Amino acid sequence: MFGVLSKKVATAVALGALALTALPAQADVIDDIKARGVLKVAVKADYKPYGFRDTSGAIIGIEPELAKDVADKLGVKIEYVPVVSSNRMQFLQQGKVDLMIATMTDKPDRRKVVSIVDPNYYSSGTNIMASKKFGFKKWEDLRGKPVCGIQGAFYNKKTGRDFGAKIVAFKGTAEVYAALKAGNCVAFVYDDSSHVATLEQADWADYEMPLPTIDDAPWGLAVKLGETKFHAMMEAMIVDWHKTGRILALETKWGVANTPFAMDMNKKYK
Amino acid sequence: MGTGLENTWIWGVRDMTMKQTKNNVLPVMMAPRSRPTDPFRLKAWHGLILASIVVLASIPAFAAEEPAKASIFDVLVRWMPLLLEGFVFNVVISISAMAIGTITGAALRLGQISLNGAVRKFAWVTTQFFRNAPWLVLLFFAMFLLPFEIKIGGLTIPLPDWLKAIFGLSLPVMANVSEIVRGGVVSLPSGQWEAAESLAFSRTQVLWRIILPQCVKRMLPPWMNLYSILTMATVLASIVGVSEMMTLTGQALAAEGGRSDLLIPFYSFVLLMFFIYCYPIARWTIRLEKKFAVIN
Repeated sequence: MFGVLSKKVATAVALGALALTALPAQADVIDDIKARGVLKVAVKADYKPYGFRDTSGAIIGIEPELAKDVADKLGVKIEYVPVVSSNRMQFLQQGKVDLMIATMTDKPDRRKVVSIVDPNYYSSGTNIMASKKFGFKKWEDLRGKPVCGIQGAFYNKKTGRDFGAKIVAFKGTAEVYAALKAGNCVAFVYDDSSHVATLEQADWADYEMPLPTIDDAPWGLAVKLGETKFHAMMEAMIVDWHKTGRILALETKWGVANTPFAMDMNKKYK
Repeated sequence: MGTGLENTWIWGVRDMTMKQTKNNVLPVMMAPRSRPTDPFRLKAWHGLILASIVVLASIPAFAAEEPAKASIFDVLVRWMPLLLEGFVFNVVISISAMAIGTITGAALRLGQISLNGAVRKFAWVTTQFFRNAPWLVLLFFAMFLLPFEIKIGGLTIPLPDWLKAIFGLSLPVMANVSEIVRGGVVSLPSGQWEAAESLAFSRTQVLWRIILPQCVKRMLPPWMNLYSILTMATVLASIVGVSEMMTLTGQALAAEGGRSDLLIPFYSFVLLMFFIYCYPIARWTIRLEKKFAVIN
């Protein structure tokens, strides 16, 4: 739903921008960032531990730290723009942010909209979190049952189409957890990395991640289409993160078990 | 059960009312007197009860034996400064949207009673359009159709999300204010216009010196009602990603790792803040309504 909307909106925004002569200057974005003195990065603010708020309101987590590395490299200040799955690509297209590191799964259709940088910086798969009492064994068990998801997540469609689940999409994770506890849905389809972190809490002792993880898909950070210079710079940054074990160190720092993907990449580039 | 009895009772009541109307003066001519509008009024100490409900809702946490898990109340206190900051944002959005909406709405209304046909039509269409459009849809339009910054010459004016939210919410307010002003103007007896004209006031003078001053007090209560509704509608901005109280509450809950026991206390707190802000406005509105009540 949001995919179609976002494309239309993007066109409308482009037209509106033309009408208001608000088209940004065609200079390179790196020059813009340096002239501005601020790197604006889209990050999540409701996805612990990849991007979330501390009590002072500051956005912290693994991805904000990666973004900070980029700002340090450019020698500018950083500004975090909190995004949700349904608006992160628009913000990048509009030029509201220069860079997006927002837990986005790398998909071919998304590569047409934003410029996703290779190699991928992270990876996770899709799984569900459900009460143990349901005893789900395979994805097909979800057929006809209400399953909670997050608006704008790509696996909603897949879970609905391939496995026949009825997707109930919410804005943020807080709402989903409430719905799950209240029994509005039988399971929550989301990134397995998030489930692992959540299931560690005593609150969710009666819940499990019962199904085989599917779609183990890499995450892509992205710059605006056509920003080749910035794209090349980010490519070097990601390789450097893998080489130096920066991602592994951040995982440990924020209490996530080192993922196979991060370890493999570290070996590959060492 | 007991239908016969009920019938006699109903007839009896009717008889009584008929007698009353016959014996007394007509209701339209009755002297103004204050009637009890509310069966119950909230006092300051009721607020304490409400606040204690929030605290009580967090009591189960004390029972939770794990020492590692902070009590709900502690968590709420920890996040309170940020949430209140968000609430200030809601208030700022509501006041600004109301200010813009009132000025443009009043202008729109004056357009609707303009002597120029084209202006009148345009103002009418605009009012009807924005009055009958869902607030959230207007908010979405403002969010996604406005650019994030405007460049005029060398000057770059950024349009942050909250500014767009103010703009988006001021559209329906504008249309509603326009209707409130219409109500105010219409409620004045036409004799006011005629008398003013017969005294050789110009149209501008009639409007500004005779009609509008009389309207203001009649418009105040519905205008304040609208403000209350607008304030409560500012949480809609959370859907389009403005970092106001509702958004921050969701993010705070996510940062606490999806602890479902926090949900009710956190949202109760949001509720309480809005209630504390809006209730006095509602009371004040009722007082003004009574004060300006026109018996006719």
